[in-house]
Amino acid sequence: MERVDITPAAPAEDEIFAALASPVRREVLRLLREQGPQSVQDLASGFAMARPSFSEHLRVLREAGLVSERRDGRRRLYRLEAVPLARVRDWLDPYERFWRGRLTGLRDLLDGMDDTDGTDDMDDIGDAAALGRTGDQETR
Amino acid sequence: MNEINDVNDTGDLAVLRLDEFLAHPPARVWQALTDPGLLARWFMPGDFRLAVGHRYTMAGMAMPGTGFSGTVQAEVLAFEPERMLRLGWRDADPASRAAADWTITWTLEPEGRGTRLFLTHEGFDPGSELQRRARSIMDGGWRHLLTDRLAAVL
Repeated sequence: MERVDITPAAPAEDEIFAALASPVRREVLRLLREQGPQSVQDLASGFAMARPSFSEHLRVLREAGLVSERRDGRRRLYRLEAVPLARVRDWLDPYERFWRGRLTGLRDLLDGMDDTDGTDDMDDIGDAAALGRTGDQETR
Repeated sequence: MNEINDVNDTGDLAVLRLDEFLAHPPARVWQALTDPGLLARWFMPGDFRLAVGHRYTMAGMAMPGTGFSGTVQAEVLAFEPERMLRLGWRDADPASRAAADWTITWTLEPEGRGTRLFLTHEGFDPGSELQRRARSIMDGGWRHLLTDRLAAVL
């Protein structure tokens, strides 16, 4: 992945993004998320590729921390590790998180105001002022 | 937050769209969008005035990881009372790596006894590193998976 001037990123983040850049690997993650931990054999059966190639994809996911492997008898079971994904989400769309947070705040504010009379003004302005609000309400 | 529907699964990363149903009439929602005192309580403090061409600044928009300075230089671009409010946003720090030049549009539509509030945040640079990264992994509904369903595995 080409690097340009961005916020300093831990190498692990680059690894995570590189791992997610492959549709095959994203599909593996999706399967693990939707179907839970499963064996390499089960996972591989959904992909039309040679086993060594598939194993290489799993290795990339493992090294990025997105999946973990454990032995179960003769099988190797893979499971999704959520923490790196959470970091991706946080990294990926800070704007969306920003707006979602603000919209939650807007909802809370409105829910704390009384608009049942539908006139949406003076009584509630008083409430708002009591809560520390300042400013001019005649902006509509 | 379950009322928010992410309708941006199309891969158009230059635009961020969200909407939310609010159980309040459009007049009330409009007030929250345009009254400086109310804005300070749910959004950011700023010298907002409902007049096309009015410029104001808002501080405190923390955006870790984006290079955005946190201070918005805003301008009222257009409005239709209780229906639409369009704002221009730039990063107040011209040296900011985010080099923001955004258009924020609020649209209000009556829905039942409440209002559906649409937000459109346009003007992202699709060539930025963040956007390239996002684009590379955002196909196939991946965004939706990350934002809406991740909680299921945490």
